[in-house]
Order: sequence, then structure tokens, then C-alpha cells
Amino acid sequence: MDALLSGLVALADPELLLLIFAATLGGVLVGALPGLNATTGVALLLPFTITMEPIPAIAILITIYCAATFAGAITAILINTPGTSASATTCLDGYPLAQRGEAGRALGMAAVSSTIGGVVSIVCLMAAAPLLARAAYNFAPPEYFALTLFGLSMLATIGDGSPVKNIVAGAFGVLLATVGIDLLTTVERFTFGFNELSEGIGFVPVMIGVFGISELLVQASNLNVKRERITMKAIRLPSRADYRKTWKAILRSSGIGTFIGILPAEGATVASMIGYNEARRWSKTPEEFGKGSLEGIAGSEAANNSATGGAMVPTLALGIPGSPTAAVILAGLMVHGIRPGPTMFTEQSTFAFAIFWAMLLVNLMFFFIGLFGARLFARVTLVPVTILWPVVFTFSIVGAYALEQSMLDVWIAIGAGIIGYLMRRYGFSVVPLAIGLILGGMLETRLGQSMVMLDERWWLMFTRPLALFFFVLTALALFGPLIWGRVFAQRAPVQSTGE
Amino acid sequence: MDISRPDQTGPRAASRVIVPLVILVLCAIAYYLTTTFDRVPPILKRGIQPSDFPQLVILLIAALALWLALRDREPAPPPLPATVYITMGLLIGFSVLALVDLFIALGAFAVAMSAIWGERRAWALALVGLVVPVAVFFLFDIVFEIRFPRGVLTNLWYG
Repeated sequence: MDALLSGLVALADPELLLLIFAATLGGVLVGALPGLNATTGVALLLPFTITMEPIPAIAILITIYCAATFAGAITAILINTPGTSASATTCLDGYPLAQRGEAGRALGMAAVSSTIGGVVSIVCLMAAAPLLARAAYNFAPPEYFALTLFGLSMLATIGDGSPVKNIVAGAFGVLLATVGIDLLTTVERFTFGFNELSEGIGFVPVMIGVFGISELLVQASNLNVKRERITMKAIRLPSRADYRKTWKAILRSSGIGTFIGILPAEGATVASMIGYNEARRWSKTPEEFGKGSLEGIAGSEAANNSATGGAMVPTLALGIPGSPTAAVILAGLMVHGIRPGPTMFTEQSTFAFAIFWAMLLVNLMFFFIGLFGARLFARVTLVPVTILWPVVFTFSIVGAYALEQSMLDVWIAIGAGIIGYLMRRYGFSVVPLAIGLILGGMLETRLGQSMVMLDERWWLMFTRPLALFFFVLTALALFGPLIWGRVFAQRAPVQSTGE
Repeated sequence: MDISRPDQTGPRAASRVIVPLVILVLCAIAYYLTTTFDRVPPILKRGIQPSDFPQLVILLIAALALWLALRDREPAPPPLPATVYITMGLLIGFSVLALVDLFIALGAFAVAMSAIWGERRAWALALVGLVVPVAVFFLFDIVFEIRFPRGVLTNLWYG
């Protein structure tokens, strides 16, 4: 209780509140601009926070995360282009509603369901993260190794790419994490004579490269796409009848989103897809989905915003990112010298709870900003790419340089951008690469510590119940979809013949 | 034509093999590099040798790349538009010009990219090539106290 209050007190600084308000505006702007998303926004903003104290710095990053996730709905509804991938399902019903002249109603429902989803997940975060941290307090290296492996195995299921390609990309990230001096033996690896590489490849330049610069190249291949914005008079709060129709979908999707967010690596995009599908499955009017259903918007938006709170549970309590954006925030925590994990709620409890309160505040702020500023933000959706992306590039490069003040980081960002683009072109998601880079060091260290602890008899890890539990989950994450796919592929024809 | 089975011949099929092949070649190079790492005596090795973990990861990637070469049936992506090649070329040009001066390179890249992407308005080109880099320079230099690498232009400020 003391920590809860001390976190609130730490946040009650007018300067910090103003900063959070400005970051909320910035986050909504980032989310509303097609091509930019929460992950890119947080990666680009991270270097701006390096001179700040940890609480305002991480509060800003979290604010961008929450606000940008919400704002993706603005472009999804008004120009049929999801501002963030998590809002892709919002397009399905938001845009048809906007075409019918009900853009304000659609945005009102998006704002309400996003806020409810966000608040529900943060309440869960406040309750679950300290409990999870307490449970993990007695983890030994084998349990941590198994948990980290489980976190990496979940990469197989993210996005819509091939699981094998996701694992290849994740393993590539883990390999990149081995660059530099080996912490256990102090032997240099893959440094090629560069002193700057002794401490390893920086997270920030790679994040900026794979999320920011690779997106610039994606935009270069989409220059012929024409965007038309549907005009809107004003945002409209849902009516009582709208609430009656959608409250179940909002609550259900809030629960789904929070749960999906808690799973390592799974983020708002997966949550919104499942939230949307479940809203349709339980709806009394499923035929309206895809033609302008408010339940569809509620299901998608409540789920993607609740995933933000859920994603921070494993990030803060275990140091395992719950989503791609949480991975960048995790990098931000490390840059600021904060080690997420079980001790966070005993040794840095004020920090942890200040972040929770900041998230709660952001959800209320973007509700009002969404209500009163949606018309204004709708205008920025049509900023020409010929102006937007050169500016993004300038910030990317200066951001990559700023952290270590090293030109090598600039070249790493450019290289990561080109590699990231080529990966995306050939169906490899860049998200596993980023998460692999962050978790790789932890994975190797825990493996080494486990080997020392178990006297190099690695198979003894399987005799530890909790480690075994995580190994089983890892196997399920890797092979479950394959087994499920085969089972259902065999059953499908039986169902289709009506037997 | 069975659309569930993509074209198995020609350049599209070739790209399905080329990507795993490139990965395998990179794995071979990386594996060779791991064999050059120093080895530590058993008393100091703390569980695993420095090369063990990277080698394990490389072997995993190589195995999965082989699987992709044999089993992946994803259709190859459409050809890249010229603007992507040019933008990539500009990125490489930027990396070289940054050795002369980071902010000259930033301005030149921004103007060139914007123009190649179709921007013709002088004010827009001035905005991305001059106003934004100068504003970013002073923002980071004065507010965040970041010192940029010395170059032809930055020396005018640093003296």
C-alpha cells in the first residue's frame, strides 16, 4: 500500500504531469500517422529520454505506447489504413461506418472501449505484476533459463508470418546478442577490432534501424498508394443503446487482451485479432461484422489497448517483454540502469507504481484528447510522405548517435534498417530479431549459470518442476500449432460433410 | 491452375532457394568465426566455452534455413520498385558522406530522398533539408548536451 501511494506521490509533480500530457499528444500523433506505430515511436523517442531521471523517462515511453495504440484507430476509421497494426481489425467496421457518415460515432466507440480496456488491464497489472514477481523471487538460473526460452519460443506464434521464419529471426537476434565480451569468460566475440563493440551491439540503434529505417524503405515501395480521408464533424460518445449492445464485447475483449498481453512476446495485434473474432462469435448480429458493426470496433479496440497493460506484467515482473513495444521499453529500462525482475517491487517499488499510475493517467488523458482532438489529429493523417519520412530519418539517425555518441551506432542503425527491410520483404518479421537481441544475453548468462550450478549436467534442469513446466510450455508454443493444425486439418472434411 | 501451389519454376522459385542459401553461407562464415574465439581453461570456463552458445544458435539457424529451402512454399515477393533501390543507394551514400559531416549528410539525404519520392515544392525541400536538421542539431546540442562528431559544418559551431 505504501508503494502504491509513494508511486502516486512521485507522479504528482506538475512538470511531470505536463510532460505526460505532451507525450500523450505526441503518442496520439505517432499512432495517427500511417507507417509510424507505437514501437517505432518509442524507439525514436528513447534517445530523447537519456538525460532524464528514470521515472519521467519511462513514463514518457509508456505514454507513447498507450496513446499510439489508441490512436491507430483514428486512421483505421477515417482513411481505412491502420495507424498501427493493432488497429487492422478496427478498419473492418470503422471505415464502413465512416463511409455511412458515422465516423464520429465509430471514433467515440473506439475511445470508450480503448479507455475501458486500458483501465481494466492496468488494474490487473497493479495486482498481478507484484504477485508474479513474488512467485519469481525464488527462481534459480535453470528456471530463468527455461522461462527465457519459453519467451523466445512464443516468437513462433507472433504476427501472420511463418513460425519457422520467426524463429530464424529470433535466433538471429540471439546471435547478435553474443557480439562483444562474453560476461562469463571475458573473451571477445565478433568484435572485428572495434572497441565500441566490446560492450555488445546497442539495443537502441538496432531498434531504430529495424523499426524506423526499414519502414522508410517500405514506404519507398508504397509511394503510389493514394489516401483519401473521410471528413467528420465531431466525435460522438456512444448512446445508451450502443452501450447495451457492446458492453459484453468490451469486457470480454478487455479480459482477452490482458491475458494475451501477459503472454511473452504476444502484443496488441494478436489481441485485437482474437478480441475481434470473439466479439463476432458471441454477437447476436454477426452478419453486421465487416459492414460497420460497433461491436467489432469495441472488440478490437478494447483488446488492443488492454494488451498494453498486460504486456507490462512480464516485462516488469520477469524482464521478459510482453510485446514488441514492451521490448523497446525494456531496452529503455536497461539504458536507464533499471533491472526489471522480481526485485523491482521490493527495491524499486516507487518507480514501478509511479509507472502504473502514469499508465492509468494516460488512458484517461487519451480519452479526452481523443474526444476533443480527433478532428485535429485526423488532419495529420495526410501529411505527405515526402515530408514525414525525411524528418523521421533525421530523428532516427540523431537518436541512434545520441546514446553512445558513436558514429558506429549510426552505421549499425542503417545496416539494421536495410537488413530489416530485406527480412520483411522475404517474410521474416523484425519483431523476433528485436526480442531475440534483448533476451539473448539473458538466455546465455542463465544457461552458463545453470551449467555451473548443476555441475555441467544440463539434463538435471528437467528434474526441476518449474523449469520442466516452462520447457513443456516451450514445446507447446513451438509444436502446438503444428499438432493442432494437423488435428483440425483431419477433422475439417468430416465436419464439411455434415457427419 | 492450382493457386494453392505457387509457381515452382523461374525466378520466383529461385528466390525461395536463394534466401535460405544466403542464410546458410552467413551461418558458415559465423561458425568459422566462432572457431577463432579464445578458449578458456576448464577451471575458468564457468559452465560453457565462449564459442559454445553462438555455435548452438548458428546450428539452429542453419537447420531451420535448410527446412525453409526444402519446405517453404511461400510465393516470392513482387519485384522492387526503382525508388527502393535508389533510397537504399542514398542510405549508403549518406553513410559515406557522414564521414565528412553528419549534418551535411542528413540535409543532403533528406532533400535527395524527398525529391526522388516526388516532392517538388521548394519550401518543403528547405524544411526537410535545412530547417529540420538545424533545429535537431540545436535541440540535441543545447537541450540534451549531445556533442556531435566534428565535421565541415559542425566545426563552425564548435570552433
